[in-house]
Amino acid sequence: MTVAPYVLELGVGALMLVVFAVGVFGRRRVGALATAGVFVLAAGALALAPSGPALGGMFVQDGLAIFVKRVFLAATFIGLLSGLGSPDRALARRGTEYHLLLLASLLGMLVLASARDLIVLFVAFELMSIPLYILTGFAKREPEPIEASLKFFLVGSVSSAVMAYGLSFVYGATGSTSLAAIARAPASPLLTLGLLAALAGLAFKIAAFPFHMWVPDAYEAGPTPFVAWLSVAPKAAGFVTLFRVYFEGVGDRAAVWAPAAAGLATLTMLGGNLMALPQTNTKRLLAYSGIAQIGYMLVGFAAASASGTAMILFYLVAYVFGNMGAFLVVEAVARSEGSEATSAFRGLAQRSPLLALAMLLFLLSLGGIPFVAGFWAKLYVFWAAAERGLYWLVLVGAILTVVALFYYLLVARSMYIEAPTRTGRVPVAPALALSLVLCVLGVVALGVYPKAVVMAALRVASPLF
Amino acid sequence: MRFPILSVITWAPFVGALLIMFTARRSPLAVRLIAAVSTGISTALSLWLYGAYDRESALTGGPGFQFYEKIPLVPPLGINYELGVDGISLLLVLLTSIIIFAGVFASWTVTVRSQEFYALLLALVTGVYGVFVSLDLFVFFLFYELAVLPMYLLIGIWGSSGEVRPRGIFAWAYRETGVGTKEYAAMKLTLYLLFGSAFILVGIFALYVAAGTASFSFLELEAATFDPVLQRWVFLAFYVGFGILAGIWPLHTWSPDGHASAPTAVSMLHAGVLMKLGAYGVVRVGMGLLPDGAAELAWLVGGIACINVVYGALSAMAQVDLKYVIAYSSVSHMGLVMLGAATLTEAGLNGSVFQMFAHGVMTGLFFALVGLVYEKAHSREIFRMGGFGRVMPGIATAFTIGGLSSLGLPGTSGFVAEILTFMGAWRSDFPWWLLPAVAGTFLTAVYVLRVAKQIFWGPPSPHFHHLEDARGPEWVALVLLVGVLVVFGFAPGLALVPVDTATVPLLARILQP
Repeated sequence: MTVAPYVLELGVGALMLVVFAVGVFGRRRVGALATAGVFVLAAGALALAPSGPALGGMFVQDGLAIFVKRVFLAATFIGLLSGLGSPDRALARRGTEYHLLLLASLLGMLVLASARDLIVLFVAFELMSIPLYILTGFAKREPEPIEASLKFFLVGSVSSAVMAYGLSFVYGATGSTSLAAIARAPASPLLTLGLLAALAGLAFKIAAFPFHMWVPDAYEAGPTPFVAWLSVAPKAAGFVTLFRVYFEGVGDRAAVWAPAAAGLATLTMLGGNLMALPQTNTKRLLAYSGIAQIGYMLVGFAAASASGTAMILFYLVAYVFGNMGAFLVVEAVARSEGSEATSAFRGLAQRSPLLALAMLLFLLSLGGIPFVAGFWAKLYVFWAAAERGLYWLVLVGAILTVVALFYYLLVARSMYIEAPTRTGRVPVAPALALSLVLCVLGVVALGVYPKAVVMAALRVASPLF
Repeated sequence: MRFPILSVITWAPFVGALLIMFTARRSPLAVRLIAAVSTGISTALSLWLYGAYDRESALTGGPGFQFYEKIPLVPPLGINYELGVDGISLLLVLLTSIIIFAGVFASWTVTVRSQEFYALLLALVTGVYGVFVSLDLFVFFLFYELAVLPMYLLIGIWGSSGEVRPRGIFAWAYRETGVGTKEYAAMKLTLYLLFGSAFILVGIFALYVAAGTASFSFLELEAATFDPVLQRWVFLAFYVGFGILAGIWPLHTWSPDGHASAPTAVSMLHAGVLMKLGAYGVVRVGMGLLPDGAAELAWLVGGIACINVVYGALSAMAQVDLKYVIAYSSVSHMGLVMLGAATLTEAGLNGSVFQMFAHGVMTGLFFALVGLVYEKAHSREIFRMGGFGRVMPGIATAFTIGGLSSLGLPGTSGFVAEILTFMGAWRSDFPWWLLPAVAGTFLTAVYVLRVAKQIFWGPPSPHFHHLEDARGPEWVALVLLVGVLVVFGFAPGLALVPVDTATVPLLARILQP
């Protein structure tokens, strides 16, 4: 037996052990150690090549798995890096706990990306989710994080239960837990019902409307570097699961899910964008905008095609840089101003022009404006939908980007048009600055030259169909 | 390889913007010089381009699009960086050059954050040039977005909040939405135009998928034939999308607010060129690619244009803020542009394109003048001002010539444009369009002459003292714009000969049985 297919998972496991051992003796270097470890794994992931099914087909290291694993590791690296040297006292005091939990969740995601069996899939899902509940309530002495954590936990458990219930129907209808066998099984009402219930459970995880209620509270209450990561990595994991369960190997039957996905996409874009409008706290604003972004990705899901899947993968990459970047700017401003309100951004362009420019780039990327990553992401997703004749969905999505731009521009207006209420630069810690630079580079590079990632995404998505 | 003249024209301002951002920190004079030189390069080259365009070859069935450039960008998706000009875009490139060159000089006095101002302005101009010269719909769309977005910051930061605010029963609108402030205007303009671009994007995708050639190239899509039903819907999408930018009623309300709040150079560029960009989109993409859809929906385009003409003129009459008068006059004149196009006759379409040019120069001149008056008198309220002709004779003369062109006096370019449009309307399927068109011209005379009399030629107002005439660089802008208006008025053939080479084949495609 070879360990090649599981090298990343084993790597994360080993890293957890090291972090644990170091953390027992002294917690000072834990953060740097975990960050460096993830960096090494991310660099190693670039060298990975697909290998055949392992563990009797339960675990596959195919192109898709490797693609998203790179995304997970990159996002985790940026997230961990931005948290280094954070003045948050809970993070400093319980650094070992924080990093162990985050790595555990990462391990869950890595396994999830390769799972081709319902049991593995479900266990990996829970391994990913449970640390998230704890991390959301990390500041355990304050009431809001506890409330948010409880809400997240309850909603998350119910959704897991719904998903497990649905998967049990799937097993009942097909007599197998192997996704490959399920994909080949003849269609039956029970199978459809089971998959529909599982879809509802998964919709909770990716925070599609109307299963989104935990998102704003969790984002507002959690430590911002964690929230930046929470807003992208588990979403990517959720989408991979969707591809594995609903698309891989089912061929033309994938189109069965197009109407449900299109409806979910419409609701999510509409709900997320409209509810973002009245927000005055930037983290809540980004939470609702993130829900809307999920809606745009679901447009690609509604296309139910190889290009739709590939474009979601590209969208996820663009979203990692844009959304994490925006959260990290919020973190920088919040550390300096002590406030996460949009008013804290007043006159930022005159105080810290580079920080303001970075935020503007992230917001434009999220808004889908040319020459930054988000533009191509939206465009490609719309294009995939147009290819399947879903013009109405494209029109709805395109019009709602205008609504989205309104609230993004409100932040831009605070930064560029309004006069500053305080003077002096906003200080940015070196580690945070480095992670911001990475995000800016990602957003700009993908905006100028999206081709390489698009092609890679198309390559890994086409074998699914 | 040939000298890529179109690329140089398009990107020279952008290079200027980058230079300004990175080299000219804290040196306002250097900023202005870089801006003047980079737009000067584009202007000089576009003049040369205008002379070098081969009219004979275009007339005798040779390539309509000349100075062709093509670089593959994303080959598997069929996206190419593909540029070329025909008679219509040739004239509009020239217009853009004239307006931005004058605009740089007219806003010579911007001192607040001038580095960012000029950088954004120049980036915007690259977008405008790009739209006029690109032959790949995708690249076209990119340039289009680039032309729209910097506007938000340009108006929001350097604009001016008007004195006109809703009172009485509409006072709540100011409290709730901030109507009349520059922030409101900037947001409204940006959202309206992006709303339009959503329709354009869907239209482009529909054509791309329906043609099945895996190409965004205008030339390849022109060769494809589309189903009439698809044509109708896609034309409608393009009409709404581009029409918003062209100020079609009832989606025009961003334009008066935006133009009134914008700083001088931005008003000039926006009213002078960007609104034409909308009309150009309808003609080039809508009518050019969807001949059946255009023929089928001509009644709608023309009918709404008639409303534009009359409604815009009546609204202009009702204004007390000078900038709003000019802004509503743009709405009215853009109606004439769309009306000319909707007639689907050679005279009408030529008149439409000529009107784009004439009105662009005219309205650029107006906004430059209003900017100068505002800068000296610090007021835009028409009825507080009076007798400025004595102290600023140069500005007064330029305003009067612009006004006479606006109401269509023979010998100015406004006359040529309007008479062609009227002839087109008379020969079209809907001769009654002539009535609102002529009525609009009459109403224009009323509001233009009233404003000119009140501000410049009436008795002196007691509110103002020590006003001055235009100075050094500002004269460059005024003389250039007035000169163009008069030259093209006396020699319309200068513009009409190349325009005709493009409009005749376009109409032939639409009218073929």
